[in-house]
Amino acid sequence: MTPQQLIDTPDLIAAGVAGDEVRRRMHGAKTTFNRVFEVPVDAPPAALPARVNAGEFRIVGKPSTLDALTAAVRATAALAGEVPVTVFSVFDLLSLPQSIRVVAAAIKEAGASALVHLPIDRVENAELVAQDVRAADLIILSIGVDDLDDNNRLALCEMAGTLQSRAGGFKAFAPLPRKMSVTKPTTGYDDVRMVALARVVAQNIESIQVDWALYGPKLAQVALTVGANDLDNVAAEDPGVLGTRRSPLEEVKRNITAASLEPAERDGLFNPR
Amino acid sequence: MKNIDEISARVREGDRIDRDEALDLYLHAPTALLGELADRVRARKHPARIVSYIIDRNVNYTNVCVARCNFCAFYRPVGSMEGYVLGFEEIFRKIDETIELGGGQLLLQGGHNPDLPLEWYEDLFRAVKARYPDFRLHALSPPEVIHITRMSRLTVPQVIERLVAAGLDSIPGGGAEILVDRVRKLLNCHNKATADEWLDVMRHAHRAGLRTTATMMYGHVESVDERLEHMFRLRDLQDEMGGFTAFITWSYQPEHTELGGFEATGLEYLHTLAIARIVLDNFDNLQASWVTQGGKVGQLSLAFGANDMGSVMIEENVVRAAGASYCMDEAEIVRNIESAGFTPKRRNMHYEILGDPVFRERDVPRMLELAVARAEGDDSRPPEIVRYAARSAQEKKLRS
Ligand code: SF4
Repeated sequence: MTPQQLIDTPDLIAAGVAGDEVRRRMHGAKTTFNRVFEVPVDAPPAALPARVNAGEFRIVGKPSTLDALTAAVRATAALAGEVPVTVFSVFDLLSLPQSIRVVAAAIKEAGASALVHLPIDRVENAELVAQDVRAADLIILSIGVDDLDDNNRLALCEMAGTLQSRAGGFKAFAPLPRKMSVTKPTTGYDDVRMVALARVVAQNIESIQVDWALYGPKLAQVALTVGANDLDNVAAEDPGVLGTRRSPLEEVKRNITAASLEPAERDGLFNPR
Repeated sequence: MKNIDEISARVREGDRIDRDEALDLYLHAPTALLGELADRVRARKHPARIVSYIIDRNVNYTNVCVARCNFCAFYRPVGSMEGYVLGFEEIFRKIDETIELGGGQLLLQGGHNPDLPLEWYEDLFRAVKARYPDFRLHALSPPEVIHITRMSRLTVPQVIERLVAAGLDSIPGGGAEILVDRVRKLLNCHNKATADEWLDVMRHAHRAGLRTTATMMYGHVESVDERLEHMFRLRDLQDEMGGFTAFITWSYQPEHTELGGFEATGLEYLHTLAIARIVLDNFDNLQASWVTQGGKVGQLSLAFGANDMGSVMIEENVVRAAGASYCMDEAEIVRNIESAGFTPKRRNMHYEILGDPVFRERDVPRMLELAVARAEGDDSRPPEIVRYAARSAQEKKLRS
C-alpha cells in the first residue's frame, strides 16, 4: 500500500495492517514506555511528592526568561538525582531572545540531558535548529506535530523523515497532534491512519510514539497495533488511592499485554530501565 | 481447536459459526482479522454504507433502588438523602428540550423504587402521550418490569399489557449484564432477574408485538466463554422471536462501585464487538458504545462491525456515576460517521430512517456536555408522589 493509498483507502483495517507490518519488522512485539514526572517551568517543586518513580523529569511550559528556565533545570536536577532531566518543547525555547544554541548550552550546563519535542509543523529551519542544539552537546528526542489538518498529513510525515536523514539523532516521531480542538478533535480514524502513515513513511526513525496521558489508554493501545511502538508520558506519580492493580504502571503494562505485545520500560533517553 | 483460517473462510461465506468456533476466534484471531470479518458481515447487512443514530434522551426517573447490584455506582438505597424521583413536570421539561434538539424519544430507565407502583408508570406514560402524542417511550428494562410484577402481583404479560395500553412503545435491553446465573450471583443482580427471567420478559414483549434491544456488560467477573454463552442465548431467542432490533455491548465501568477493579481495554471492546457481529448473525444492528469507550474508539467501532452510533443522548447518569463522561452532540456524531467514510442518517427506535441530520436543516444549539437527571442540591419532591401508596418504611415515615 503506498502512502497515498493509505490515506485514501476506506478500509481502515488494511491501513492499520500496513503500519503494523513495518512496526513488527522493526520491533517485533517489544513496546517501550516511559514514566515522566512533569515540572512546570515557573513552579518547580521544592521536594518530590511521595510515590514518584520516574524515568524522566520533564520541564514543561513556556519560560519567561532564560534565567527562569535554567533555574528550573537546576532545581529539577537536584530532585532528579541520576534520572535524566529534559525540557519540553523546542518551540517554546525559540521564543526566548537568545539563540537556540545559547539556550541549549545554558540548560545543558544547568543539568538537562535533552530537549523533548520538535514540532515539525511549527519550527522553521528545523534542520538548523537541530544542528545548533547538537553543537551544544544536547539531543532532541522526538519530532512531533502540534497542529494537523487533513491536507498536511503526508507532508508532515515526509518532513519528519527528511529531517531525520539530514540532521539525525531523533529517537522517535510522535505524529498525533498535541493541540486538540474542543469542538473538532481528530477522530479515531484520523489517528489510526496518521500513526500507520507515520510508520510507513518515516522508517528511518526508530520509534513511533503516542502520548499516553494526552491520548488516553484506549486510543494509545489501539495505536500500538497499527504502527506505534512507544508510549510516552505515563504518569510517574502513583496516587495510591486506587490500589496497586490500578497504578499507572500496572495500567500501561496491562494495556500493552492485552494487545499481545511485550512491555519494556525505558528512561527519558531511551535506555532500558 | 479448529483452524482460524477455516473458521474465517466460513464467516466470509456467510455461514453461521458455533460456540467452539466463536471461542477460537475470540481467543486466537488477530485484531485485524476480527475487524475484517466483522466488517464483511456489516457490509452484507448494510451495503449502502449508512450509519444511523438516534436523537433521544436517557432519563433516569429515579435512582432509588432495592436491587443493590455491586457493579452499580448510580443507585441510592431507600431513604438516602441523595435519592430522587423525577416529577412529571420535570420529565415534560426534559421532553421539551429533547424535541428542541430534534429528538422524538425518551429512553426511560431507573432504579427499583418500592414507592413507585405500576399506577405511577401508567399515569406518567398516559400523561406523556396526552401531551406529546407522537413522542416515543422506550422504557423499562426487563428487571424493572420484573420489579413491577413483584410489587403489583401481576404476571409479566399482564404488566406489559398495561404498560403498552398506557403508552409504552418498546423495551430497552438493559439489565442483561451477562446472562449466566453464576455471574449474576457474583454481581448481586441474580435477584433482580435471573438469566431466564430476563430472556422471558423479552420473549413476552416480542409476543406482545414490542421491539426491544439487547445489551451485554462485560469485563467484570465473567469468563470469555460466559460472554459467548450470553451471545448465543440472545441468538437463540432472536431465532425464536425475531424481536430484537439491535445489540449493544459495553465494558463495566468500575469507578465508585462496590465491586471495584479496572476497566477492560479498548482493544478488548473492539474484539468483543467484532465477535458479537459475527455470532449475532440474526441481529441487523450493532451499536457503538462511545459513551463508555470515548469518541475515538466509538468511531473505530464502525470498522469492527457497528453500523449505528447509538444515541445523541443529551443526558446520561448511570455510566457517568461510574466514571465515563464522554459527550457527543449530533454535529459531532455526524462528523465522526462521515470521517469514517459512511453516510449518516437519523433513525427511530425501530431503525427506520427518519432523514438527514437535523442540524443541517435548522439551527440546533451545540451541546458539549451531557445534562444530568437533576441539578446538584435539588432535593425537591415531586408533588404527585403522594398520590401513590408508599411501601417503604422510610417513605411512610417521611409522609407522616
Ligand atoms: S444497576 Fe439498576 S437495578 Fe442494579 S442497583 Fe443499579 S439501578 Fe438498581
